[in-house]
Amino acid sequence: MLARAVNPCLLPRNFHRIRPFPAERTYHEDPRWPGWEVVVGLEVHAQLKTRQKLFSESLTSELGHVANTHVSPYDAAFPGTLPHLNSKCVDLALRTALALDSKVQPRSAFDRKHYFYSDLPTGYQITQHYAPIASDGALHLSRGDVVVRIKQIQLEQDTAKSTFDPRHHLSQIDLNRAGTGLVEIVSESDMRSPEEAGDYVRTLQAVLRSVGASDGNMEQGSLRCDANVSVNKPGGPFGTRCEIKNLNSVKFMMVAITCEVLRHIKLLETGQVVSQETRGFDELKSQTFKLRSKEDAPDYRYMPDPNLPPLLVNQAIITLAINSMPELPGAMRSRLCSQGLSKRDTEVLMSVDSGREVGFDGEPGSGGAVAYFESLSKGRDPKIVVNWMTHELLGQLGARKETFTQNPVSVEQMGELIDMVQDGSITGTSGKTLLHHMITHRSREMPSKLAADLSLAALSKNSLSDSLKKLCEEAIAALPEEAGVVRKGNERVIMKLVGKVMKDSRGRADAKAATDLLKELLLPKQ
Amino acid sequence: MRSAPRNIRFCLHLRYNSTVSYWRDVIDVKNASVNAIVHTAGLHPGTGHGPLKDLAIAVKDNICTASMPTTCSSAMLKDFTSPFNATVVDLLQDAGAQIIGKTNCDEFGMGSLNTHSVYGPVVNPYSTPSDSAPWVERERRSAGGSSGGSAAAVAEGMCDAALATDTGGSTRLPASYCGVVGLKPSYGLISRWGVVSFADSLDCVGIMANDVATTKRVFNVASTYDPKDPTAATLETRHKSQLTPMPLVEKNLQGLRIGIPQEYFPAELDRSIIRSFRLIVSALKDNGASIIPVSLPSTSYALSAYYVIASAEVSSNLARYDGIQYGLRVDTPHGADKTKTSNIYAHTRSQGFGREVQKRILLGTYALTADAFDNYFLQAQRVRKLVREDFDHVFRAPNVLMNHSSNFTSSSQTSNSNIDVLLHPSAIRTAPLLPLSSPDSSSILSSSSGLDAYFQDVLTVPASLAGLPALSVPVCSGVDGWPVGVSVVGQWGCDDLVLRVGEIVEQL
Repeated sequence: MLARAVNPCLLPRNFHRIRPFPAERTYHEDPRWPGWEVVVGLEVHAQLKTRQKLFSESLTSELGHVANTHVSPYDAAFPGTLPHLNSKCVDLALRTALALDSKVQPRSAFDRKHYFYSDLPTGYQITQHYAPIASDGALHLSRGDVVVRIKQIQLEQDTAKSTFDPRHHLSQIDLNRAGTGLVEIVSESDMRSPEEAGDYVRTLQAVLRSVGASDGNMEQGSLRCDANVSVNKPGGPFGTRCEIKNLNSVKFMMVAITCEVLRHIKLLETGQVVSQETRGFDELKSQTFKLRSKEDAPDYRYMPDPNLPPLLVNQAIITLAINSMPELPGAMRSRLCSQGLSKRDTEVLMSVDSGREVGFDGEPGSGGAVAYFESLSKGRDPKIVVNWMTHELLGQLGARKETFTQNPVSVEQMGELIDMVQDGSITGTSGKTLLHHMITHRSREMPSKLAADLSLAALSKNSLSDSLKKLCEEAIAALPEEAGVVRKGNERVIMKLVGKVMKDSRGRADAKAATDLLKELLLPKQ
Repeated sequence: MRSAPRNIRFCLHLRYNSTVSYWRDVIDVKNASVNAIVHTAGLHPGTGHGPLKDLAIAVKDNICTASMPTTCSSAMLKDFTSPFNATVVDLLQDAGAQIIGKTNCDEFGMGSLNTHSVYGPVVNPYSTPSDSAPWVERERRSAGGSSGGSAAAVAEGMCDAALATDTGGSTRLPASYCGVVGLKPSYGLISRWGVVSFADSLDCVGIMANDVATTKRVFNVASTYDPKDPTAATLETRHKSQLTPMPLVEKNLQGLRIGIPQEYFPAELDRSIIRSFRLIVSALKDNGASIIPVSLPSTSYALSAYYVIASAEVSSNLARYDGIQYGLRVDTPHGADKTKTSNIYAHTRSQGFGREVQKRILLGTYALTADAFDNYFLQAQRVRKLVREDFDHVFRAPNVLMNHSSNFTSSSQTSNSNIDVLLHPSAIRTAPLLPLSSPDSSSILSSSSGLDAYFQDVLTVPASLAGLPALSVPVCSGVDGWPVGVSVVGQWGCDDLVLRVGEIVEQL
């Protein structure tokens, strides 16, 4: 229990704005299904990024962990164990609710949802069926000025994982995941195409990552979704909906919705009816299949959990959650664009190691690529900085299959490197070489020292003209034929000599300075 | 007034150098006829210091112990040993108590006669004053349930005190039948971590002993806040309940207001019980206490509401016994339908659970189905609220679990009784005879209608629904010579007052 309840009228009003009803959305004909309107609603389950599970002290786990190593007697449903609510899960659910513009309920409660399955050791899942932690939210999609209303957000337990080994006819159960905290985010049926559904999931992923609520990774199963799909004639009432369960990637979800839409239309156009069903999706055949009909729907026998007191969230807790909230993607995007970054650069920066900016339990993380960029661009041209970051730093890390979190180059090192290139004390090529050196050697030295150690100081006309002149003369001597051709007036061949100079200088020579000097040496004075 | 002499104590030879081996020998000799102890502790010396260092305590077999099995008297957990100790067991051991064994009970705490046990029934060890016949020839009476083993172990001198549990009367009823003291404390005072859940919202750890003083000593150690129990009363709430001014109960009972609830004398109540009860009431009056008749009008609905709520929680709490993680596993027979997980579990659950448990799981499952939920489960919750309000209306002390404004209304405005404690018979009769046939088959009490056995709990269930402290104290024998218990019930958190009044009753 967190604290005593407060009067609901003290809740922040600014978290509510008037939202359009789906009926207000104008119908746009889709060439894939002319004369039909598609209606989609999504239920998203996101694993909360906490160190410990929702009701036990065992640590949460990742995919690669050895099976059944993150298990306490509570997780295995041992007799005599009792749940203990992890307040960090509540904090992250509150962040989710606030980020989705939802109304936080001053009093919510936990219920048991009963069914027998091998991945559910207690025989029930603790969820928030009757009184969820938040409701009435909204998510603004990235395209088309679409707002999807959020019906409710609830805290619940994840299940264990069961895998079937057909060779030995054995079911194997891994309890590592059992009892991990989830938020279930239920949307209204406000989406009108598979693409909008895809946009919704991607936008939601970005929001969950930015506030540190979840890694939101569909491939690793930290974000999973179910889709409700129906079709109707424009202006007509909604059609019968079918639910497609366990969609594991945005791409497959969009394919599944498309298949389901086409199935409904085919049924309706041949005079048949769509029956309310729960369906699965076969990724290989690209089709949905029936899991159970409405008549077979299980009775979950929801019961208020007699062990868990109601969850009371007062204004002080909400204020604390608001104050500790990291910046939301929308706000971050517009802030970056206002610094003159292109939309593409902004997206690249924001997508780097997404979800790793915030630590476990919502703790501030290293700050990620955006924070790095912002420290780096203090007193420097943001466009030049973003180029160095996206093209060179991220490029070289990527070539080594390293993530941004593994970046060994400090903001100070990177800043000096950019400054040295900018003021001509090293060439761009040397800058890249230097960066490569720093990354491969995990060097903590400042670039100025490294440049001196590695003799990378630029050979320009002014500073070390003698050595540049020497290199040019050596190049002329080494390539007499080409030099002759240049002397006869074919200036294009000079590039071969420049290339030789650059190579011999190991990138320290400034290409333009070398070209000018070679011309000076080979061509008659004008 | 307590006339029944104790059993003749087992003749002790003081040559034992270890108290553990002493108690092992006592159990060896006495338990065969009573069947109260189902596991005996190994020879681990206790800490030897602490406030309970002189006490040997038996623990009901639905309370987890890491050094002995915890079977809940069920085939389902026949070979189960918990990886941890219940908090209450740790507390007692840390206070120097010697845990000497685990006691028989009704399966998972479900039953009123301790006949629904995989170990067979507990035989009430009481011997009436006139009874000099050897054990085998005596009438075999029930020790009561579900904590029959704990009550019988105390009554027969196999321990100084015993931990029990009480969901709807499981401590008070056997205490009454066996002639010992049984306390069900306020809900939330003793940690339930490690207590195998029957119905979480009602389950309490109970304490049994031969006298109130010993009961109180054990309670004082056990009643400690434990963050591992999410339903534990917080330190703040505990403190608040101590602030309520209590009447000073001295030898002269002037100022003590005792309520007699008129609804607690149903037609089924045995006449001889009423007679014994009247003697106590007039003795209290003679000592200066005010005796006030009060009404708790929702009492008649309490039993039905209790069975709906308890069964619903049972169906949920016992879903975990599926043969996968621990406990009994019955493999699916060759060719069995394995298309659904529940079909595979069914074999284990059908064999592992006894009839009474199965019956309650089915009842509870029904009560929670979408169609029945409103009419059964929610209706029962409404009744529960009314029962709680009934109590709040008659007690002088406010209910600290409610918020301040409603306290004020209930205790100062609508209350016309202002009583300190309620007093009523603990059971409708003395210990009933055990069925002659094998355990867990249709007994005399359950064969006729199936509801007779449930009716045993009619007087104990209301305090469970309201989470109130209730203490059964043996007072005198009924006409048949068997013990009769009287219950003292107080407002939530007034456990000390209840124990104090219990001590007075004990000394009358």
